[in-house]
Amino acid sequence: MIEMRNIKKSFGNNDVIKDVSFTIKSGEICALLGENGAGKSTLMNILGGIHQMDSGAILVNGKEAAFHTPKQSQEAGIAFIHQELNLINDLPIYENMFLGRELKTKRGSLDLERMQQETEKIFKQMNVNLDPAIMVRELDASYKQIVEICRAMMTNASFIIMDEPTTSLTDQEIERVFKMMKTLSEHDVGIIFISHKLNEVMQICDRYIVLRDGNLVAEGNVHEVNTNDLARFMVGHDVRTEPLNREKKIGREILRVEGLSNSPFFRNISFSIKEGEIVGFTGLLGDGRSELFQSIFGAEKISSGKIYLNDKEVKVTSTQQAIKEGIAYLPRNRKENAIIKDMDIIENASIVTWSAFSKNGTINRKKHEEVFEEQRKALRIKMGELTDSITSLSGGNQQKVILAKWLAAKPKLLILDNPTQGVDVGAKEDIYDIILKLAEENIAIIVLSSEANEIIRLCDRAHVMYHGVIQGEVAYEEMSEHSIMQLSTGGQLTIAKEG
Amino acid sequence: MKPSLNHAAIKNKRSFFQWFKYKWSSDPLFSIAIALIIMIILQTLVLGFDYDSFGSWFQAWINNWINILRNNAATAIVALGMTFVIMTGGIDLAVGSTLVVTGALSMMLLDTGTKGFLLAMGITGVPAFAITILVVLLFGYLLGSLIGVSITKGKVPPFIATLGAMMIFRSVTQHFMQGYNPKVPTEFLQIASFKIGSFMIMPIVYWAIIAFILYYVSKRTTFGRQIIAVGSNERAAKLSGILVEKVKLRVYALMGLLVSIAAIIQVSRIGSMDFSNAGRGMEMDAIAAAVVGGTNMMGGRGFILGTVYGMLIIAVMNNLLNLFGVPPFLREAFKGVIVIAAVLLQKKERTS
Repeated sequence: MIEMRNIKKSFGNNDVIKDVSFTIKSGEICALLGENGAGKSTLMNILGGIHQMDSGAILVNGKEAAFHTPKQSQEAGIAFIHQELNLINDLPIYENMFLGRELKTKRGSLDLERMQQETEKIFKQMNVNLDPAIMVRELDASYKQIVEICRAMMTNASFIIMDEPTTSLTDQEIERVFKMMKTLSEHDVGIIFISHKLNEVMQICDRYIVLRDGNLVAEGNVHEVNTNDLARFMVGHDVRTEPLNREKKIGREILRVEGLSNSPFFRNISFSIKEGEIVGFTGLLGDGRSELFQSIFGAEKISSGKIYLNDKEVKVTSTQQAIKEGIAYLPRNRKENAIIKDMDIIENASIVTWSAFSKNGTINRKKHEEVFEEQRKALRIKMGELTDSITSLSGGNQQKVILAKWLAAKPKLLILDNPTQGVDVGAKEDIYDIILKLAEENIAIIVLSSEANEIIRLCDRAHVMYHGVIQGEVAYEEMSEHSIMQLSTGGQLTIAKEG
Repeated sequence: MKPSLNHAAIKNKRSFFQWFKYKWSSDPLFSIAIALIIMIILQTLVLGFDYDSFGSWFQAWINNWINILRNNAATAIVALGMTFVIMTGGIDLAVGSTLVVTGALSMMLLDTGTKGFLLAMGITGVPAFAITILVVLLFGYLLGSLIGVSITKGKVPPFIATLGAMMIFRSVTQHFMQGYNPKVPTEFLQIASFKIGSFMIMPIVYWAIIAFILYYVSKRTTFGRQIIAVGSNERAAKLSGILVEKVKLRVYALMGLLVSIAAIIQVSRIGSMDFSNAGRGMEMDAIAAAVVGGTNMMGGRGFILGTVYGMLIIAVMNNLLNLFGVPPFLREAFKGVIVIAAVLLQKKERTS
């Protein structure tokens, strides 16, 4: 049994965890829920020995324990499986199993045979059917997850923290991991399961804990609640799910795509979009939608197919050309794909239009400032000075700055890839409002999102992708979480269209 | 009344300290400038400053400075280009060898002997100099572009591409220049040794002009800012419509161009070039100047002004070691310490 008592933690003036207490029993699967920034990872990092708590106590089986380093936490029997897996792709499974505590022969060289045997033993015990000698690179994401779990078991872990283990898995792979979790719980291992997928929580967990703004706001048994309750606990009020309305003025066709392919990412994609329309693209992670639109935007290659802009065929070979053609692409994973941390706010907000506004190659700073000032008001960006670092802003405001840089280019077609990723609830609604306003201004908008709810609320119609192909299209009243989920997992719409 | 005055005094004192601390942690060039000022004060003291003989002291001081700056001008110009290269996240090890190739080319063109290329075509004097300079600059630009193409189109890592170029350029030059000693016309030497007043400062003037232009480029032009974007986050730059490959290509081409300018300065200073030793270690000196000046080896962050400071720090330190009579073999060690110390200081800034 692990007990966390009155845990408090702040970073600077920011109180991230405000007096949280809870208990996890052996053999129990407990969901840890909360929005981004609610304090989930901080709390788990404290338990994993990565961060130090400011005050409070951690008790393992009734005895107080001090976790100053990850090692101490591991020795107490707690294993932390991070979202980014800690496996070395270029080593075989069995060497990964003993990473950092390799078995050695008397002479001091690696005892490969014994490591292999030990790995086989644990695999047998956990009902895993894998050859320890294959390279980790060959494994799919679920088996990597399982290897990590087995590695934790090998260190005699009695509690395992799993940080969003299912985000990058297919349904089948998720089943595999869930089976593993059941086995663990039968072996009397306690599991803390961090997830955003409430359906999964309902399916696999015994108990739940919900954090909001650093407070524990709800806990209990999963079978006593439903997903709506959990969502309400997380957000603090009823979640707005109704579709958003706007004045629709659908104009002429802007973009038409015919038989676009770039194996293995996407194949034979055809669709079109008109002025003023909002079209969604959704599916599970790895469905190829990001790659598809990055190709249309000229950032990646296309092996076959045709792209028509304003009824004229175009070959987009660079992002610069795409921008000149009036296409804008707001990428997913802001930190990796959009934020330039060595530049200040105004530079990040103007990078797209540098050449367009420049005179003889000299950047027209004044013009950029004028344009951005307008955007800043319209997008309600909260910021200090224009010359502050972009990283001084919150996630939501960073995203708005990135959106501003694209609006400065006055696009005809705006592609938004996960526009509300890592953005808090308030900023999310702001961004939705902006998207609707842009559509009213006759811009064609494509929204890529894995949140069915977002697609349903924003879009007129949506294409659902599955393994690189468009599995189906849903429009207006057909759009439901159920129909989208069915298509995105490779199924067909079962409800036949009537009348 | 009194206590409040005292209080104000304390507050004032504290605010200077706070200002210093703030500048130290927020302005990356601040600590570099402080280091440079300390070096200059040391140098001033070592030259025996006193009021009575101010005139002669000042003469010695000025001469000492002109010597320092002139001797380092060529490397300093290369270091400016190196700053851009490192800011894109790359590196150029080939600068020393490019210097030798372009230097050799200029000498072949100018040769007053029987093999003299331009002489054979009947072109002499100023037109010959102009053609030489033009051809050499173009050639440097071309060699740089070639390296750039292998990095951008060929996807060869910058370290490898320029390592290869470093070996090829010098080796080929040495082979073809074997037993051939071109004689450069003495008038050509005016390029470096033309006197302004009684001062022979032309190399310093070239350095200053180029530094000023590149400072402007880095701060105010699309190209300059694109360099930062590419080095800081290449993916984001690409997804913002920047032609990443073009930016990189232009940076290496610019590097080649600057090296050829350095080559002309070198040749016009002494009228000859030792093809097996000239420019050896130049890449390291240029990198050292850029790093001391606050350029991040991982790309993204870099300052033209910082590199000028960095070059001056290393140069003044060399001069000081000389004045102090430190044995020559030990001087390189001091340079090493300075480079590492500079990065240690900057690391503190980054994490704070």
